[in-house]
Amino acid sequence: MLEIDDLAKRYGSVVALDGASFSARPGRIVGFLGPNGSGKTTTMRCIFGLVRPDRGAVRWNDRPIDRETRLRFGYMPEQRGLYPRMRVGEQVSYFAQQHGLPSREADAAGRRWLERMGLGDREKSKLEELSHGNQQRVQLTVALAHDPELLVLDEPFSGLDPLGTATMTEVLQDRAANGVGVVFSSHQLDLVEDVCEDVVIIARGRVVAAGAIDELKARSGRRHLEVEVVGSDGSWLDGDGSLTVLERVGDRVKLLVRDDVDLDQLLARAQGAGEVRTFAYQPPKLSELFMEAVTPVPSPATETTLVEATS
Amino acid sequence: MSRMRSVWLVAKREIIERGRSRGFVFSVLFTTLLVVGSFVVPSLLFDNDDPKVIGVVGPTPPGLESALSVTASRVGQEIRVIELESVDAAQAALDSDAVDAVVNVPPDLSTSGTVQFAEEPDAALAQIASASIVALRLQDLLLEANVDPAALIAAQEAPVVDSLDPETDVDQARFLFANIGAVLVLVGIFSFGFTVLTGVIEEKQSRVVEVVLSTVRPRDLLMGKVLGIGILGLVQLVVFVVAALGAAVLTRRFALPETTPGAVVMLAVWFILGYALYSTALGFLGALASRLEEASNASTPVTMIAMISYFVAIFAVINDPTGIVARVATFLPPSAPFVVPLRAAYDAIEPIEVVIAVVVTVAAIWALFAVGARVYAGAVLQTAGRTKLRDAWRSAGE
Repeated sequence: MLEIDDLAKRYGSVVALDGASFSARPGRIVGFLGPNGSGKTTTMRCIFGLVRPDRGAVRWNDRPIDRETRLRFGYMPEQRGLYPRMRVGEQVSYFAQQHGLPSREADAAGRRWLERMGLGDREKSKLEELSHGNQQRVQLTVALAHDPELLVLDEPFSGLDPLGTATMTEVLQDRAANGVGVVFSSHQLDLVEDVCEDVVIIARGRVVAAGAIDELKARSGRRHLEVEVVGSDGSWLDGDGSLTVLERVGDRVKLLVRDDVDLDQLLARAQGAGEVRTFAYQPPKLSELFMEAVTPVPSPATETTLVEATS
Repeated sequence: MSRMRSVWLVAKREIIERGRSRGFVFSVLFTTLLVVGSFVVPSLLFDNDDPKVIGVVGPTPPGLESALSVTASRVGQEIRVIELESVDAAQAALDSDAVDAVVNVPPDLSTSGTVQFAEEPDAALAQIASASIVALRLQDLLLEANVDPAALIAAQEAPVVDSLDPETDVDQARFLFANIGAVLVLVGIFSFGFTVLTGVIEEKQSRVVEVVLSTVRPRDLLMGKVLGIGILGLVQLVVFVVAALGAAVLTRRFALPETTPGAVVMLAVWFILGYALYSTALGFLGALASRLEEASNASTPVTMIAMISYFVAIFAVINDPTGIVARVATFLPPSAPFVVPLRAAYDAIEPIEVVIAVVVTVAAIWALFAVGARVYAGAVLQTAGRTKLRDAWRSAGE
């Protein structure tokens, strides 16, 4: 298990990390979310010893991470980069060898993974001869070829076309199914909701929410309610302080309600007003949880929930 | 995985990637051709060892041919003498380059006659011919005056030519070795040291360095780079030296002194040490720059020191190989790679001084790796603009 414990890092007057803590378990995919400049990349660099934190620790299976441990990790930095003039096959093999694989095994693993990424015929090409999308695939292959126990990917989906996105998703899910811990950052929240089981949301250098997406949703005090009532002027909603109208299109209304709302009573009121065609009660979307979590001054109620989630 | 393997993997990658690049192959071929050419071409053009031909117009006074041969052998000039029928035949022989000079002396030695050339008179041949004719005429006169022939022969004996401190081929070779050595160390630093510098910047620019450093320690990466490029440099140096020595021996430009193997070893050792020292410094200074255009700025302090050291070596040390400047410069790591092989070439250095200089320089290289690696680690991930040395030092740490 990967544990990030109370990491803090400043660059001059800029606070990059301010006591960030979270953990990632083997076999789970963790979406690492946060606005730009919230400390995602710095956290990832701390995991790989590229940045030395001012405070805090990174542990793997309860032990501080050293170089030997890191050899069993795979990393894809946000700023992609490989050797432009090096051949793709040799490049993948080189990095696999740097992760400790004997040269013959590294060659074989490189070939296997390139084949799987659909680049089997480009092994002898120089990296710079490949398209942007294919270079991205090579970058992922470099992170994967040594069969790491933990994958840390900084914005792996950025710049991918739908086909690339599908491949990336499939690979990440396959790795997780094989017991690999996966942590990746992204701004595409709908995608994260599809791919991940867990999320960590970081803002201003601190983790403001963490846990399984379903639990976070369940714990959130808010619910969505979509109601379609034919033959009503909508006045049945008036005067109820426990709900907020988000959107009204024809007979269809989208509402935001508290999770302690009495649904039976609400349904009865709607039925009293007209013919109910739709009555859908849903948890909030991840993007809403995200906005709620990263808003600078959260309400006291939400903060309590989120601090619990962090611990 | 051992750090040794990590360093070696980095080095191997540099060797393979750079070694098979066209640029490297061409530069090895080019320098080799240049070196061999610089020996072979002059020997083809100028080293005309064929004996000079002197034509004598018959009938000749007795003893002229032998006089010419004896005089020529005294000044170390090989000549061949042929007899020509007439003045016209001599003229034709000169015109057709069959002879280099024509000597025409009356058989009775009544006048000194003429020595004729086709174009520019050859000073040596003119001297030989004149001296021979004058000697013949004097001899003739003296014999007529009944001088004892034995005494006459004795009087023509040449004096013993000698010098107190003769400059030998060995001295010449030493001087050549010393100068070539200093130039090679300088070239090694500038070409291969700069390859390290640009390699570091390229890794930074292509951003690959973040992936590399997620598994390789900064110090090991720098060390592997210096090692790999150094091995390529050494290969090039060996090809260069072998080609030069081979060409020198084959064209017989000069005899190799007995000290050649020692001098070559000394040169190799200091080439390696000098390269390692300067390329490490250039490597970590390269990490401070973010673009190739800034490379020359970043490297200025190092290139200045290298140039100053070189000039100290070729002026102060050649002038006085055991003087105070030479002795001090021996123990300063930046200047030692230039100064020590120079002093050794002049046989003007104690073995213990060489040992101390090696130890001091190796220690400096090690210190530079330690300091350099930390600066490197701190600077290499800063991709915007130039990183300040102090900031890099602070933000880094293994």
